[in-house]
Amino acid sequence: MLSSIFSSSTVPLLEQVVNFTEARHGVLAGNIANLDTPGYKTRDLSPELFQAQLREAVEARSAPPIQSSSIGQYGNYESPHSTGPVSRVDRNLAAFDAVKNSYKSILRHDGVDVSMENQVNQIVKNQTEHNLAVGILSNQFRLLRAAISERVA
Amino acid sequence: MLTSFDISTSALVAQRARLNTISSNIANMSTTRNERGEPEPFIPRYVTFQTDTDQTSYGGGSGVKVGSVEYSQEPPRMKYEPGHPDADAQGYVKYPAVDMTMEFVDALEASRSYEANVGVIEVSKNIMENTLRIIA
Repeated sequence: MLSSIFSSSTVPLLEQVVNFTEARHGVLAGNIANLDTPGYKTRDLSPELFQAQLREAVEARSAPPIQSSSIGQYGNYESPHSTGPVSRVDRNLAAFDAVKNSYKSILRHDGVDVSMENQVNQIVKNQTEHNLAVGILSNQFRLLRAAISERVA
Repeated sequence: MLTSFDISTSALVAQRARLNTISSNIANMSTTRNERGEPEPFIPRYVTFQTDTDQTSYGGGSGVKVGSVEYSQEPPRMKYEPGHPDADAQGYVKYPAVDMTMEFVDALEASRSYEANVGVIEVSKNIMENTLRIIA
């Protein structure tokens, strides 16, 4: 029941964004740490690849569920372990598994544009994205808390 | 919004390149030989900036990049030092035409530009944080 509360909102989506920005921050911090390391090649995680994977996952998630004709309008509520809404939720969460692969592939640049300025620029943009996702996430939870406690927090 | 960061960063990179050539000019103020050890004075270098159309923002803003590194056209400074191993037949040694006053004024300008661009980044960041405050 809890999982359906979370998965029906944008929480799983934002979770992926926060995960990605955190992972990318670690990689970028490594670049700063190795500014003076001879032969070091700048590493990065591709935000474009992540965005593409995320878009695919979101599209797969919002696709209409396959409903068998034998189950009527209210049949879904009586059989949660078949092709009802619960199994749809499970399948939808599985769509995000592919997203995780996008931040296992580390990009390596040759030492052409290695500069502290560029790295710090990337870190600032990454941080902004992280703050945005965390901000919306905490807003979601605030709404949930308001609904549970029946009181405007 | 995020392109303004890229534009300011391009200026930071360009100004740092300019500072690097200035420090190279000052470091080589008395260099009378080239990298092969032949008597040839160091020629001061200057960077030229050009607008970078790869980085453009909505509203017509564009970044900057180092266009080229130019060599100074100034003739070398002749100094009478007959005992110097690199002196010519008349006893003159060719020293690089580095004008220290000019170099320091340029360095000051480059470092102030760098600071100004850091300030712009700070402003962009504040604007964005304020925007985020609306939804989060």
